[in-house]
Amino acid sequence: MSSRRELIAVEGVTKRYLTSSGSVEALHDVSLSVDEGAFCTLIGPSGCGKSTLLSMLGGLVAPDQGRLLVEGQPVSGPDPRRVATVFQEAGLFPWRTALQNVEFGLELQGVPAERRRRTASELLGPLGLSGFAEKYPRELSGGMKQRVAIGRALALDAKILLMDEPFGALDEQTRVLMGEWLLDIWRRTQKTVIFVTHSLHEALFLSTRVAVMTARPGRIKSAFDLPMDYPRSMESPEMVALRAKLWSEIREESLRAMR
Amino acid sequence: MKVLGLRLALLALLVAAWEIAGRTMNPLLGVPPSAVLPALRDLLLLRSYPDLPASLALTVREIATAYALAVAAGVGCGFMLGMHRLVGRVWGPMLAALYAVPAVVWYPSLMLFFGLDAASKIAFGFLLGFFPVALAVLAGIRQVNPQLVVVARAYGAGTVTVFRRVMLPAMMFTLVGGLRTGLALCVIGVIVGEILGSKAGMGALINHAYGLLRTGDYVALVLVTLILVVGSDVLASTVERRARRWTE
Repeated sequence: MSSRRELIAVEGVTKRYLTSSGSVEALHDVSLSVDEGAFCTLIGPSGCGKSTLLSMLGGLVAPDQGRLLVEGQPVSGPDPRRVATVFQEAGLFPWRTALQNVEFGLELQGVPAERRRRTASELLGPLGLSGFAEKYPRELSGGMKQRVAIGRALALDAKILLMDEPFGALDEQTRVLMGEWLLDIWRRTQKTVIFVTHSLHEALFLSTRVAVMTARPGRIKSAFDLPMDYPRSMESPEMVALRAKLWSEIREESLRAMR
Repeated sequence: MKVLGLRLALLALLVAAWEIAGRTMNPLLGVPPSAVLPALRDLLLLRSYPDLPASLALTVREIATAYALAVAAGVGCGFMLGMHRLVGRVWGPMLAALYAVPAVVWYPSLMLFFGLDAASKIAFGFLLGFFPVALAVLAGIRQVNPQLVVVARAYGAGTVTVFRRVMLPAMMFTLVGGLRTGLALCVIGVIVGEILGSKAGMGALINHAYGLLRTGDYVALVLVTLILVVGSDVLASTVERRARRWTE
């Protein structure tokens, strides 16, 4: 983490949604800076606009005010060459095999069939899916599906990986293992990851930077760096203290969100 | 192989039962297969109905025209109603209500509008074939998981790519089912139209033979028409398989 080059900048972003009961402010004046190579976690109560912020970084939603920059350039739409997204529900195409799902992004970019097949096949090994290339999503377990979805994102070889609660639908054990596996992938590929989660454990175990969001309208309540080495022990006094601090902040916001 | 053998055995059994039943009945009403075969031979050798090829060609042309119109209109309407929420909500119930009306009630007015020639048969075939196609497109669009559309957009897909890579494959099963049902109903519509009132086509021949109590000829004509129906369904299932391959 020697380089401190800013890769992503969110500057004063505000977003309102129109619903049947009127206009709702999802995000209010959100600013955030993420360095290249960081693993930045967004954590906060349900409905605080974490996913909206991620959709904006992915170019799927435009802000009402403020701007989002990637490598100094404003985000104006999906840019799969620089930003790859993993969604909460794997979102695999059921009529495509695991391999074909991993190839999807490359296919849209017009990469020749043979080359994209090779790229996708090489990814399946580290994804732990070697024997499953020809399986369809319905034949895969929840964890495997999510790994295929991560493979589909990694195949783009984009600098930035946006992950919207990628392990939210998995059971606790699988979730912990997937976290360890993701750390390994992240450290090997040197991606910059923005990771949305509800889980304190995931935030502390994985991130180099944590941003806590407030209840709606979402703002950044606090953001801090986690300089500890990996793999992390959740029992170290430093970690226990951090966990208590993070929990008190999230608890406060979650209570507000429930009201 | 075993299934095929059992099917043939069943067929033989049915034909035998038909033979026995046919022989005990009034020959004007019941025709055993042994009497149908000579009639079928006379029909195919163009002895009993020399205009069989022309009638067959006319019926096929009517079906093809009716089906082409039904698919074009059904797919067009289906997408228009399915893609625009407001239009869909305004027109949807009307479409479903019209579909529920037994289409044959429209036939007299179709004959008044389009006359006794091919046009009224095409119109009736169209009317029957249109609804399953339009409703299948509507149902298909509703089946597309919006999450997959978001995924495709995030991966750089534009409107055309989303349509081709996400919507069409997601809809394919329902869509092809509707297209197949539509064809079957077009065939029924045209033939029923011909039987109810026409001067030419397979339905007219059937009507003629039946009206003159030439029961053997009548059954032979029905058999030929049956081949037409089965043939169209075989064609449809071939197209179905191709379409499935194309989406992969």
